[in-house]
Amino acid sequence: MDFAYPAEVEQFRAELREWLSVNLTDELMAARRPADRDHTAFELLRGWSRTMADAGWAAVSWPPAYGGRGASVLEQLVYTEETTRARAPMPLNIIGLNNIAPAIMQYGTESQKLTLLPRMMRADDIWCQGMSEPEAGSDLASLRTRAVRDGDHFVVNGQKIWTSLGHQAHWCQLYVRTDPDAPKHQGISCLIVDMTLPGIEARPLVTLNGDTDFAEVFFHDVRVPADALLGPLNAGWQVATTTLSHERAGAARLYAEMQVRLEELVDDFATADGGRALDDPVTLRRLGEIALRVKYLEVLCQRSISATLHGGSENAAFGSASLAKTVWGEIGQGLAALAFDVLGTEGGKGRWGDYRLTSRSLTIAGGTTQINKNITAQRVLGLPRK
Amino acid sequence: MNLELTDEQVALRDTTRRFLAEKAPISGHVRELLDDPTGVDQAVWRGLADLGTTGLLVPEEYGGAGMTMVEAGIVAEELGAALHPGPWLSSAVAATRALTRIGDNETAGKILAGIADGTTIATVGFLDFGNTASVVEAAGEGDGVALRGEIAAVPDAAAADVLLVLAPDAVGAGLFAISTDTSGVSVLPERGIDQTRKRFRVTLDDAPAHRLATAPPDAVAAVIDDVLIANAADALGAARAVMTMAIEYAKVRRQFGQVIGSFQAIQHLCVDMFETVELARSGVIHALWASDAHGTQGDERHLAAVRAKAFAGRLAAVGDTAIQVFGGIGYTWEHDAHLYLKRLLSWSGLLGGPDEYLTEIGARLAKRGLR
Repeated sequence: MDFAYPAEVEQFRAELREWLSVNLTDELMAARRPADRDHTAFELLRGWSRTMADAGWAAVSWPPAYGGRGASVLEQLVYTEETTRARAPMPLNIIGLNNIAPAIMQYGTESQKLTLLPRMMRADDIWCQGMSEPEAGSDLASLRTRAVRDGDHFVVNGQKIWTSLGHQAHWCQLYVRTDPDAPKHQGISCLIVDMTLPGIEARPLVTLNGDTDFAEVFFHDVRVPADALLGPLNAGWQVATTTLSHERAGAARLYAEMQVRLEELVDDFATADGGRALDDPVTLRRLGEIALRVKYLEVLCQRSISATLHGGSENAAFGSASLAKTVWGEIGQGLAALAFDVLGTEGGKGRWGDYRLTSRSLTIAGGTTQINKNITAQRVLGLPRK
Repeated sequence: MNLELTDEQVALRDTTRRFLAEKAPISGHVRELLDDPTGVDQAVWRGLADLGTTGLLVPEEYGGAGMTMVEAGIVAEELGAALHPGPWLSSAVAATRALTRIGDNETAGKILAGIADGTTIATVGFLDFGNTASVVEAAGEGDGVALRGEIAAVPDAAAADVLLVLAPDAVGAGLFAISTDTSGVSVLPERGIDQTRKRFRVTLDDAPAHRLATAPPDAVAAVIDDVLIANAADALGAARAVMTMAIEYAKVRRQFGQVIGSFQAIQHLCVDMFETVELARSGVIHALWASDAHGTQGDERHLAAVRAKAFAGRLAAVGDTAIQVFGGIGYTWEHDAHLYLKRLLSWSGLLGGPDEYLTEIGARLAKRGLR
């Protein structure tokens, strides 16, 4: 039982920390939220991706051949911890780097890898992922966007929703139904779609706080070249799940993000109203509850990674990872509620007012807490499906 | 970073689990001893000693295994899962850590050797040290020293041969050993919510004592942290066991023509228990590691112990939820669920309720924020 990271991983941490202390400007930290309505902020973030890429810090988990460092799982973990704690902005192509690129590396052609990956890393191209649909949310595998083969092309018709940066993207990793008669998981394929093709319309989707980070994307008789297929025909579900299984070290973001938010909240409590909130034992108890859970979340994530690295059971690794997401959502919502309750009118403005609203998404996006619990109950605890 | 158990640790866990299932089951052992003030069945205690569990933390020079708190936590978890009513935590953890952290001398060595081979049961009477309800004074010097005073909530005093107490004397705070069979020691049961835990009010009336060492406050605090952390491992075992029982029940109990575990409402209750147990496990393994790895950096260990206590209220809810899953049968005396709930509640109440500890964590954070 050892919680300490190996010396070479700590060396990696020190190197990254040093680099961030030189290159991460206040202006960049301030642009942490992808303020897509603001062209200047967007270009600033794009510039950050290039700075990171030039120094080899943009995609550390990628093999060196594509501009990465071939970082070990623990190095990836430390990378996420350090960039989050330093308050570095999330890369514009975060979904591309973590979720789409691994699928391209596994299933793509050599030419796809060499042309697409470096531009993705530098944010020269913005990527989006077309998964959810109006009628396929929690039940993702029931997606209905169709692709029908016509000569050298697929003809795509349908609609996607909750597509991050869909209205800014040059490329879309699109999941489509190619065999309507097969069982639902077996009739899906994955296409790499050029978003400039005729028949694609992306409309910004305004979320409850007024942001437009997401889009609805409509496909009307879009002719996609057949070589855009990623992975075998009708094997899209496997492509999607490969993508997700590369994510484990990313769990570090869950606790690192909450550590940062908790620190910021304590700082704001200390400055607001002469620090009066921090004299209130009820506030202290609620802060204590959150700090406690953040620490336990950290260990839960470490356990999931340790199980993967050191031959623990796959079920244990999966169970911890799945719980971690649920716990993260609960912590975030508790933190947002505490900020709002204690800061009063001030809590309804600025970042805490915004977080009070956007923290609703923590238990919805990427699979609702309820679906997550169903999966855990059945897959980990062995309770029967109906 | 490696948080997996070694093969030896897995073997220790499995051997302890098997021994308790065979020799100390709830029906036939735990229930028989609910009203017994010692909680000891000689054959079971001998068996635990023969497995090496009473000497896990005793240094090898005194006949122990010289292992770490991680191994102690593994055994504590199994004892908690089996609702073990004996004085293992008092003797093998509390007294042993007091003797190794504070009283490192020849007499301490003799007591440690007895603890390791199972012939001596020891306990400590200073878990609430600093609390004005428990005051002990020392009079006399050298071999003629005698103690006078009252100590509340001493665990396992009726089973113990040796009681370790702290008392201020001319030199500072001393750690004293008292033989419980000498005159001047009286032991009165304090009935708590949990009958598998034996606690007593101890009155010392010029009880002859042996001064082992001067007790530095840091070392005393470290022993109390050790005890809290081992107790947390015991409670984790209890929570895990009652959760597992409830989940297995949900897989076989049929209503409306189907097993109740197929209902989403029941599944979510089960996952809630699982979430709490796994968070508790995260806290416990970190605390066990911190109590050894950070032996000199007391702050991380202390914070880990405080966190474990702060989480105890949530952990007790696993007992509540399990009873909800069992439904009516879980509300009966005959069913074991209430014994688990009580074990969890007694941990939650030990040395102050969770709110106090949650507030302490918040206050530490606030101090950092205001700096």
